[in-house]
Amino acid sequence: MLNKKQFWFAIIAILPTFAIFGWVRIFPIIETLRLSLHQWNLLSKNKPFIGLENFRELFGDDQFFEAIVNTAAIAFGAMAITIPLSMVLAGVIYHRTRSRFAGFYETAVFIPHVVSLVPAAMAWKWVFDAKLGPLNRLIMAFGGDAQPWLFNPVLAVICIILLVSWQTLGYGVLIYLVGFRNLPKSVYEAAKLDGANGIQSFFFMSVPLLKPITLYVSVVTLISGFNVYAQAFILASDTQGSPGRLVRVLVLDMLENSFQNFRVGYAAAEAVILLLIVLLLTAVQFGLLRQGRRK
Amino acid sequence: MKTGSKAKERRQNFLIDIILMTVCVLLLLPLVMLVANGFKTPQEILVWPPTLVPNDPTMENFYRVFSETPLFKWIFNSLSFALLSMVAIVITSTLAGYVIAKFQFWTINVIFILFLATAIIPFEVYMIPLYFQVKALGALNSICGLLIGYLVMSFGIFLIRQNVIASVPDELLEAARIDGAGEFWIFWHIVVPLLKGPIAALSVLAFFQAWTTFAWPIIVLTRKTAFTIEVGLANFQSAYTIDLALLSAASAAVMVPSVLVFVLLRRSFVEGIAASGMKE
Amino acid sequence: MSKINFTKRLSAVVCVASSLIMAGSIAAKAENIVIWGGFPELQGFYERVAESMKATHPDLNVIVEPIGLRDHEKRVALALSSGLDETTVFELIGSTANRYIVNDLLPSAPGNISAFVNNGANFDPFFQEVAAVDGKVYGVPLFRGQGALFYNTDMLAAAGLDGPPKTMAEYSEYAKKLTKRDAAGNPVVSGWSLRLSGGGGGIAEKFWINLHQFGGSLLEKSGNGYKASYANEAGLAALRQYVDAVSGDKTVTVEMPADAAAFQREQTAMFIRESWVIGDTAKKAPNLNYKTALLPRGSIALPVNLYVSGGSEKAQKAAWDFAIEANKPEHLIWMLDNVGWLPNRNGVDYSTVTKAKPQFSAFVDIPEDYVFFTLPSIEPINEILTRFAAKLTDAYANSALVGNDAAMMKVLQESAEETDDILKRAGILGK
Repeated sequence: MLNKKQFWFAIIAILPTFAIFGWVRIFPIIETLRLSLHQWNLLSKNKPFIGLENFRELFGDDQFFEAIVNTAAIAFGAMAITIPLSMVLAGVIYHRTRSRFAGFYETAVFIPHVVSLVPAAMAWKWVFDAKLGPLNRLIMAFGGDAQPWLFNPVLAVICIILLVSWQTLGYGVLIYLVGFRNLPKSVYEAAKLDGANGIQSFFFMSVPLLKPITLYVSVVTLISGFNVYAQAFILASDTQGSPGRLVRVLVLDMLENSFQNFRVGYAAAEAVILLLIVLLLTAVQFGLLRQGRRK
Repeated sequence: MKTGSKAKERRQNFLIDIILMTVCVLLLLPLVMLVANGFKTPQEILVWPPTLVPNDPTMENFYRVFSETPLFKWIFNSLSFALLSMVAIVITSTLAGYVIAKFQFWTINVIFILFLATAIIPFEVYMIPLYFQVKALGALNSICGLLIGYLVMSFGIFLIRQNVIASVPDELLEAARIDGAGEFWIFWHIVVPLLKGPIAALSVLAFFQAWTTFAWPIIVLTRKTAFTIEVGLANFQSAYTIDLALLSAASAAVMVPSVLVFVLLRRSFVEGIAASGMKE
Repeated sequence: MSKINFTKRLSAVVCVASSLIMAGSIAAKAENIVIWGGFPELQGFYERVAESMKATHPDLNVIVEPIGLRDHEKRVALALSSGLDETTVFELIGSTANRYIVNDLLPSAPGNISAFVNNGANFDPFFQEVAAVDGKVYGVPLFRGQGALFYNTDMLAAAGLDGPPKTMAEYSEYAKKLTKRDAAGNPVVSGWSLRLSGGGGGIAEKFWINLHQFGGSLLEKSGNGYKASYANEAGLAALRQYVDAVSGDKTVTVEMPADAAAFQREQTAMFIRESWVIGDTAKKAPNLNYKTALLPRGSIALPVNLYVSGGSEKAQKAAWDFAIEANKPEHLIWMLDNVGWLPNRNGVDYSTVTKAKPQFSAFVDIPEDYVFFTLPSIEPINEILTRFAAKLTDAYANSALVGNDAAMMKVLQESAEETDDILKRAGILGK
């Protein structure tokens, strides 16, 4: 078991990082959350204390609820696509590590993550176009009806889910690849001798062994999903004459309230609710994907 | 080994390659359109549906991007910022991640929850108090001001923690302790070498997080010469319209250093893993 | 390990190099003023003005820094609330500036500047009012955004229509005649492109423009405050026109391409927008045959003024001089010709521009009885517009509202209640 000497090592080792965190993250966040109990228009010198008034108003705000529903849908949708897809893709790419194309695969999957969002999203607007986008053409080729992807409230959310997944797929693949590369070879050798084929060893061995990595991808994708903002904004912009429906997401609502409606306290109250919801969901994920301590 | 299996394996690999190629092409399709947009004249950018291969390609946009904006300066600024942020994040995350993974004291666990919780609130929401602090320090328009927001990364610490849990067995550490090794020695000589892969992945993620960030630089940087790439690109959006051709050309141009950096970083960590020897 | 050392060395070098370079780029000259703008297309304009200031202010270093409007407003809010180190001239829409003025964050203009602005020969009362609060002048008017009708002359001629529509009833008639349909009867070219979806308060703003033609207004002054004033005949007429267009006559649908791009592609015959379309169309569709026309009653006008804050007194004086210099006729004419925004100054002869580009005429040759309106300078204006826009988006897409005046009025009333609630919460609900 761990003893006193180790405890002090832990504290000293983590102190510098904790100090930096305290200054650049914890302090500003507490400042911001504190504002949820106040009323402030960003410019005036006084910030009167108003207790839970902001929260009371939030519970009657239908725009806020719309934002929560949309954001949660996007976060869970992105998770549902990213986790399995990036795990499988990483597994397949790992299988072909020795191929000369491995580098190309990894790079190609990762580029969407680093390219500038605005021009990339414009290309996606074309993909989703109601009359002539490739997505609808594909659907019609299979005999379906063209859908107004960017205008229907439900479909617009799906568009954002697809855009977000496209961006985070490379991130997930990178993380899983590292995970695959660090898996112990010996267990696989034994399984192969027992007659297990590739797919079986993937499902029954890789997946469980990668649980800690999956927990990471899951938590990060969820939190990033709840933080989605620019994507909703850009898909709704009316450049090139094709506006879309603005999907109201939480961060958009918060920033709008802060910088355009000049209600910083109200926005801070939204941030508090966001924190509580996501903290809860994160705790759930930790519980579900808990791994026993390695012996 | 059965005789036909090598051929079967090659066929399997070929099939897998085809599938992977298709997936990659599909993923890159929007980017092909982006690059195509960079070569279009103003008249052609108007055309709907947009052409995947421009009918009337022009280098005008690229020429204008390089002559009218200090794009190279922006790339340089982004590069230095991203590199420094990467170094800071790797150092703080590796040590903290290891401690949180293997030293599960109550205090440390609370600290971990705090770290993770700070990632939930988006930076844009709480950056105002931080902005005032940076301004008071006189660090606006400087790399230091930028860095203040990007010295640590909750997800970085989390990543190292998960990888330590997955790849660093307790008994290895116990054995070293029994042998009389000090904690820092254990960290540096046993844990870090085992974390080459995750550290490299973290480097990539930290680098590109700083490379693509927008909300913080746009308020910290008010001088065009101090801009990072993303902030500079925002200039192509005028009051009611986006100059899509110029913006696409600039983004396409910036993709080149992005891909280069990724390839460089990736090469170093793939080699790093091969050299560190497989685990038992 | 060696990789980490190499990286450390590399970054140390980079850090030193970059701090040197950054230090060098912020050159310290005799007098610095910075121009913060929210319209990147005005870069050239400000550089010209700076150039022409060299004669009278040889030591002045003018640094022009325009960025997108949303980010500009954020930057200004942060800088003004924490104090500006350098003398900065910034563009602000009049209603936005009002917030800073009432919070004592902007200084009032010095005597000679106030005189310049208050001179009726320089600016109309409409612009003087927006640049002042309680009679004191705070900013110098520069340009405005203003709407007018754009129409495709070829398409109008083909439909046998002579000249632009003059009343709102004619707008609907024209829309019906100009719409082109496919075999199934669905519109493929919209007669009159309307703003039916998208983000922010834009939808509400465009609705207000139409409402204005019917004699109505979104908000009206009442006692000490404001109240919603669109749940009435005028509001109903405006909403009815939209609903009929989308779901009744089907002259336009939500998914159709809209706005300037659609007009330039000849996917729509007419639409109402600001003057920047002229410059944009010259680049993207130079062969398009179109004209502009005044709106039936009047238009929205969003005046942008120049304000000064921060730095030394000497630099501030130079900054105000810059604002005056920017209003010199030769610069304003250049702005109109090359950028497309509309200068506010009186008594400038724009005929050289309107002769070469007659489409500007509907923007600068304003008849006496043209009624301008602008967004009121109240804190919750953005929230009111955004929430109303959300209700309008749903209403436009709701085909059940066709011919159902009662239901449409209900939509307007519910929305007006929401608007009044917002005004009440902000403490400015009038009687």
